[in-house]
Amino acid sequence: MDLNLSAMQRELRSGLRDYLADAWTPDRLRAAADAGRLGLKPWRELAGLGLFGLMLPEEDGGMGLAWADAVILFEELGRALVPGPLVATFLAGVPLLAAGAVPGTATGDAVVTAIDTRDAHAVLEYPADATHLVVAGDAGLFLLPPPPDAVAAARPLDPLTPVAPLAPGRVRPEAGERVGSAADAARWRRSGALLTAALQVGVGQGALDLAVRYAREREQFGRAIGSFQAVKHLLADALARVDLARAAVLVAALTLDDQGCGDPAEAVASAKVLADDAATANGRTGVQVHGGMGFTWEVLAHLYLKRAWLHETAYGTAGEHALALAETL
Amino acid sequence: MDLRLSGPELAFRDRLRAWLAETLPELPPRPDRDDWPGRRAYDTHWQRRLFDAGYAGADWPAEHGGLGASPTEQLIFLEETARARAPYVGANFVGLLHAGPTLIVEGAPAQRAAYLPRILRGEEIWCQGFSEPDAGSDLASLRTTAVRDGDHYVVSGRKLWTSHAEVADYCELLVRTDPAAPKHRGISWLILPMRAPGVQVRPLRTVVGSSEFGELILDDVRVPVVNRVGAENDGWRVAMVTFSFERGTAFIGDVIESRNLLAETVALAKAAPAPGGGVLWDDAALRRDVGRLAAEVSGLWSLTRKNVSEAAAGMVPVQGASVFKLRFTESRQRIGDLAGHVLGRAALFMDEVAGAGSARIVEDRVNTLSFTIAAGTSQIQRNILAERVLDLPREPRWT
Repeated sequence: MDLNLSAMQRELRSGLRDYLADAWTPDRLRAAADAGRLGLKPWRELAGLGLFGLMLPEEDGGMGLAWADAVILFEELGRALVPGPLVATFLAGVPLLAAGAVPGTATGDAVVTAIDTRDAHAVLEYPADATHLVVAGDAGLFLLPPPPDAVAAARPLDPLTPVAPLAPGRVRPEAGERVGSAADAARWRRSGALLTAALQVGVGQGALDLAVRYAREREQFGRAIGSFQAVKHLLADALARVDLARAAVLVAALTLDDQGCGDPAEAVASAKVLADDAATANGRTGVQVHGGMGFTWEVLAHLYLKRAWLHETAYGTAGEHALALAETL
Repeated sequence: MDLRLSGPELAFRDRLRAWLAETLPELPPRPDRDDWPGRRAYDTHWQRRLFDAGYAGADWPAEHGGLGASPTEQLIFLEETARARAPYVGANFVGLLHAGPTLIVEGAPAQRAAYLPRILRGEEIWCQGFSEPDAGSDLASLRTTAVRDGDHYVVSGRKLWTSHAEVADYCELLVRTDPAAPKHRGISWLILPMRAPGVQVRPLRTVVGSSEFGELILDDVRVPVVNRVGAENDGWRVAMVTFSFERGTAFIGDVIESRNLLAETVALAKAAPAPGGGVLWDDAALRRDVGRLAAEVSGLWSLTRKNVSEAAAGMVPVQGASVFKLRFTESRQRIGDLAGHVLGRAALFMDEVAGAGSARIVEDRVNTLSFTIAAGTSQIQRNILAERVLDLPREPRWT
């Protein structure tokens, strides 16, 4: 048993972290928030780093890595608030679809978005940029062209994630190509929940980092506000949330990699519950610690919370996963 | 990176399982909570059984008579004993998890030779004399004095929260040896024989209603200077060594117990009639609360394995230990509340009159009030995380 990052994993992580620090500066994030579209250049750059082929076997041009490696990198993507349908495109690029990877994922030419037939409100992410749509349903996985007439709403909650509402019945999965069985759809949902949880750990960590930096610098009553226990205890709780969620995500990933080590359904559901909590509560803490500045568009604190609110609706809410967990007891 | 146990670890686990299966049925019935001599006898008997089987001191180095187990084997030991519902370390707690490990690191050879084997064999019980009425979280402000008189210290003062004081043979005692020095620099760590003249134990009744610990009144107690561990006035550093053991593994078995408690709560909810017909378990809100706590317990187990992995790699999981203590203790209290709500008015009994074996659950709910206070309050844990991990400025301290 060893849950420490290997030298290779630390290297992978620092490589991506360094790239993201340059590629997704606060100014870039603000610009992307105003653009309302996915920039294809950074998307292709991510693909160029090998992100979407991470888990493909090396003989197929991938890196032959595992879920445990993927969650380490997805945490970094979440921490940097990288926009884009990362989870769906990643899942469409790894051998999760019985019909094989969606062409173009490895190069960044494909932008794959997904909807789940269980969602009460079908919402299409990145309507103007998506090249493929995967529909996960109880009957299986279906691949379709995204509806051409879906138009992004003018005021998305997360400024970096354009979304279009889809009228009931607007997408008919059976009109597309069936690319996976019901069992594949279940695996899609589970893997999607895992990667989304990893993103949430990053979002929770990013919100905490920003708040800690501010609490060290901002002075009131002649002292850094981070010296007040009322503030530092908020931040300590945020740290505890993200640490607990990170451990759960890592173990869930290892359980998917080696299913003799535990129950993947239980592990992934636990990870999503804890990671959603870490991201949303830390996002809130991030805004609160910034005080009035936290309520401004200019300070990035709100972007973490809004991203957390986006992810908590995806691949099963914490409440749905909690209900599933209750049934295992 | 992997979750699998190695071949030798699996063999260790299987041997332990077999031994537990064979040994546990032979144990005498558990004594009553207030029967201190009975508890001492029960706990030391269990320790002796562990010793005879070679399992005593799982975390102690082999050269000091321990098992010399790796961090992963220690985890297996704690997990398996908890799963098998083996006795808890009980009255042996301070000796095995505090005083012994402190002597191993800081004790003189003669001290190790005198005390360590008797702790391992379950022959002697230790208690802790650290906190005082006016020195709790601010432990370094302790006032119990030790005045040098030839080759003795003359010790006077009061200590609080002294677990197992009534049946202990020795006490790990923090005293002030230099009242003029800054508060962290005038403290020494002494081995106090509990039968020395001038030592008086007064039981303290806890919120559970029993006397889980006591007050220690020390009145001109003569303690030999050779009983000092570490240098004179260096006791604060020695105490920090003691604490480093306290925050490591003390709660691992409790995670297993949390899962059991949650499962028991579910069983109760499936059987409890709901006011409008059906059973309480039909309530989705209750099931969601249970599921969230199940996620929490699962995450705590993952965090435990991560902390153990860090320890195995030679790191000290300060951050992980404080996160664990903070989250485990609070979630354990939430589980108790949930069980209390499921029991409804059956939760009004701490004895077995309501049926369904609920007394233990009710008592546990009350007892866990101590979890967020003992071994560093939740507020102290938050300070540790904020100041040592997040590097936030320290609160101004007045000395």
